[in-house]
Amino acid sequence: MKRHGTTHQDSAAHARRWARRLSARVEKVLVAHPHADPDNVRHTLILLEQPPLERLRRSLTRGRAATLHRK
Amino acid sequence: MAAPQPFTESEIRLLCALLRHKVKFMVVGLSAATLQGAPVVTQDVDLWFEKLGDPIIARALQEVGAAYVPPSHLNPPMLAGPGAELFDIVLRMDGLGTFADEARNCIRIPLGRHRLKVLRLDRILASKRAANRPKDQLAIPVLEDALAVTQASRARQKRAQRTRRASQK
Repeated sequence: MKRHGTTHQDSAAHARRWARRLSARVEKVLVAHPHADPDNVRHTLILLEQPPLERLRRSLTRGRAATLHRK
Repeated sequence: MAAPQPFTESEIRLLCALLRHKVKFMVVGLSAATLQGAPVVTQDVDLWFEKLGDPIIARALQEVGAAYVPPSHLNPPMLAGPGAELFDIVLRMDGLGTFADEARNCIRIPLGRHRLKVLRLDRILASKRAANRPKDQLAIPVLEDALAVTQASRARQKRAQRTRRASQK
């Protein structure tokens, strides 16, 4: 199926390449910092792909959602 | 469609009024850490002012219909008015140098025509280690890991730049 000039297959292939690159970078960081938590490393690498204000927006959104869950 | 910003219009107006009046302040705490990629959640944005009693702060806040409320018996100092709820005032930062010392090495994030000063991730970690409250103890390992990643990413970018420059020669 075509979507904005690309197919879902194209975008799935792109997503897989991105995930492979991400995994390789996580492994590299963990080699240098074996005590680091892989989840923290992965989430940080993902956030670093976003602009700073978008990172803050996500953090505030999740922080507010967590507060609502506790209420 | 533009991505939604973390700040509402009134919050941006408030920050820009402070920046326009050249009030000396910076973003600190976990919100400053998230701006630099740390995967932590927060509910507010902590602001550290060099001189809280500076009349320029009151003038800047007045311009957007907000006000500085000094500490009282039960309440810490706070900002009140449109766009102020998100921001908390930080009175002291444990384990750090003076405001001027930290400001010299802070990072700057573009906000409209202005640049917002943000305490560096390694300095946030130093303040959390010094404060060492139960909530800081939870954040410290995540900040340590985020710092390791950001330093590795910076080194990677530098290597890539060097390679590009070498190939252009």
